[in-house]
Amino acid sequence: MRVEYINPFVEATFSILKEVLNTKVERGELYLKPTSHPVLGVAAIVGLAGDVEGRVLFDMARETAIAIASIMNGEELKDFDELGKATIAELANMITAQAVTKLHDLGFRFDLTPPALITGINMEVSSPNVEALIVPVTLPQGKLEINVAIRERA
Amino acid sequence: MCAAVTEVQDQSSHRPEEGREKIDFKMITFSLGGREYGIDIMKVKEISKIDRFTYVPNGSPFLRGVYNLRGEIIPIIDFRIMFHLPLKPIEAGKAEDVLILNTEDQVMGVIVDSIDKVIGVSSQRVKPAHPLFHDINVQYLKGIVEYGSSLYIVLDVDRVLGVTEERLPEQPATVEAPAAVAELEATVYAPAGEEQSAGSLELGFIRDTLAAFRSFVLSDLNLGWVKGRLGEWRDLRSSEGRGVQLAEPSEADDFLESFYSPYTGELWGETYAGEIEGLLPEVSGGTLSAWNPGCGKGYESYSFAALLARHYHGKRIKVWANDNDLLGISMAPTLTFHEEAIPPLLAPFVTKARNGFGFKQELKDSILFEYHDILHPNPFPEVDLVLARDILSFFSPAQQQTLVDLFRSKLRVGGILILGSNERMPESGWREIRNGGVYGYERLADEEPLNKEQVT
Repeated sequence: MRVEYINPFVEATFSILKEVLNTKVERGELYLKPTSHPVLGVAAIVGLAGDVEGRVLFDMARETAIAIASIMNGEELKDFDELGKATIAELANMITAQAVTKLHDLGFRFDLTPPALITGINMEVSSPNVEALIVPVTLPQGKLEINVAIRERA
Repeated sequence: MCAAVTEVQDQSSHRPEEGREKIDFKMITFSLGGREYGIDIMKVKEISKIDRFTYVPNGSPFLRGVYNLRGEIIPIIDFRIMFHLPLKPIEAGKAEDVLILNTEDQVMGVIVDSIDKVIGVSSQRVKPAHPLFHDINVQYLKGIVEYGSSLYIVLDVDRVLGVTEERLPEQPATVEAPAAVAELEATVYAPAGEEQSAGSLELGFIRDTLAAFRSFVLSDLNLGWVKGRLGEWRDLRSSEGRGVQLAEPSEADDFLESFYSPYTGELWGETYAGEIEGLLPEVSGGTLSAWNPGCGKGYESYSFAALLARHYHGKRIKVWANDNDLLGISMAPTLTFHEEAIPPLLAPFVTKARNGFGFKQELKDSILFEYHDILHPNPFPEVDLVLARDILSFFSPAQQQTLVDLFRSKLRVGGILILGSNERMPESGWREIRNGGVYGYERLADEEPLNKEQVT
């Protein structure tokens, strides 16, 4: 993954999470993963198109998703209902959009697709031929992994 | 009925010493090197006499071969060899006693001297093994049990075979290791008692410590350098009154100091750039693409790109530079330096930056720095050049092989691979070209396998 893309994603993740959750956000060590890997339970995907192709995936456990959605809505959600899903999708959209805005300022032009939310157990995601940058984040609500796979258009 | 049960309980509670306790552990007994052993019967699938195994080359010494057990291919291992017990000469054509064991994930045959009988005891009576039973490592023993007039040593099958499985995967690495290293392996690890030259012992020691401290892997790629360096090192250390051994990471760094190619972590000087320039291939199209894995902080990528721009004037230059060191490569796109550090090669591409000097956009645009692990998929098109200085030596032999194959698949025919100054391509299918201290390897077409001996 192109070096210039890394920081905007990391910065956007932190500033948005801090702002919406109003809490301490801890970052783990960044690393690379090869093509396919398991998904924790709730995955929000935002696609990227333009100079590059790829996607950003926000991956968390169901309980974490419910806890985050509860805070963002200011009410205790019992289950991962429509409101919860829409909230997590929106969070994914906010973070990706802010990163893309930063990249736009650096001269990289991408477009976003609307976020898609996928839930289930024992899921695996694969993006053939693209390795993913993993930004692990620890919140009081649980763990969140931001998984960015972007490839230059050859 | 009810009374009978009470009576049994009474007896066992009154006279436990007399062996009337519940028999809940049955084992198959067998002999190995004159001692009696037992294995939990639940682990034994069947017992059998087998005389013809299919020999498997390059297996562990205790792997006698594989056997077709009614359509299932199972490995056959010899406990006597595995535990270094005395082994009677094997008579050709004579069937041997084999226990077919069923472990969690595989079926395996085990050769023993002779299979005796099935005995049942109370699991209470299996006593922990005393460390003095040193024929077999104590961690493989479940315990020891007395039955009749004999003592039986009970083996823990899962541990024994678990260890086998852990050891087996190591084996392919040795098999894949190139011939010279295999030979070294043989001299270094020759069983005690055989003659060992001091030199090969030292080399083996250096190899192990370099691997441990700096993950430097001794292979055919760098064996020539390591041997030469060992000679210098021995002289240097004896003049300081110290031994050859590397005791700490900093000593491994000292040892490897002269391994690294010139201008590692620096911009290239004119002489070195000239030597590299002499290896550059003819390019017919309008674009030249190169791959620079392990680019570190980017000094070599900038130097290389500048050299390409000078040599292939007017062509479009594209350098894919990557490294899996996030901190190093993060600095690369915005590298700055002092004016006096600029060699003539790079002078035309330098511009004043905010703090010090940086490179002009045209040079930056020709390089794409990526945070990337080379062992993951490498999704970029065919290249004319690969600059991989001093990186292969830090991968395991199997990974080195994968990477050499990868370079080969990414390079066009006639393209050049440049390795570190002290690395030599052991594979055939490449033509070695030397210019000063720099070695390049031209990728030959697959149809005409040709190695360097045939060329020279």
